[in-house]
Amino acid sequence: MPNARVLRDIKARNIVKANEILRKAYLYVARNETLSPQVRHQAQLQLNTFGKYTRPTTVKNRCTESGRGRGIISEFALCRYQFRLKALKLELPGVRKASW
Amino acid sequence: MAAAAAAIRPMRLAALTRTRSSVFQTAYNPTSARTGAKYLRARLRGPSMVKYYTPEANIAQLIRQWPELEMINLAEDERLQDVEDKKKRGKGAPKKAKEKGDSRRASRRR
Repeated sequence: MPNARVLRDIKARNIVKANEILRKAYLYVARNETLSPQVRHQAQLQLNTFGKYTRPTTVKNRCTESGRGRGIISEFALCRYQFRLKALKLELPGVRKASW
Repeated sequence: MAAAAAAIRPMRLAALTRTRSSVFQTAYNPTSARTGAKYLRARLRGPSMVKYYTPEANIAQLIRQWPELEMINLAEDERLQDVEDKKKRGKGAPKKAKEKGDSRRASRRR
């Protein structure tokens, strides 16, 4: 059973994906300087009514093993300690101890 | 051929850019006005976001999805067996209180 924070992040990602196109449409109207300011303002107000989990900034890369929020290496989706553990067990392809 | 000393008139240049964009079917924005087209042009990030976490395999869910495979959930079967054993010993779960006064907490107070 993953971390509570990981579950929250999964929820955020799903909701962001569901609302992405709608949000983009409103954003386009709100940022279009060729339209009248009233229309743009209306679009911006509508954008403000969207919930927090619809915003892509709510999404955070977490460690897939431990659920840690900081020190994440995005290429492996692992936090630095889990990355180290797996790399030393040679579970990460192409990763070896650096020496030069 | 000698190049014209006077610069080409801006009207002709504007006409040129207009026809060029109509020929190549590109957007015509001579004043560089912000149209918000960049938000429409950008690729969607939602699908890649959702693929970040690998979905965990849930045995109970798999059994529900494919009942014809007749898979056994060992942990669940063991749990049900433990519940049966407890009932035989008389240690089963107590009856749910129908009214407020029936609950064990209320009877403890008296």
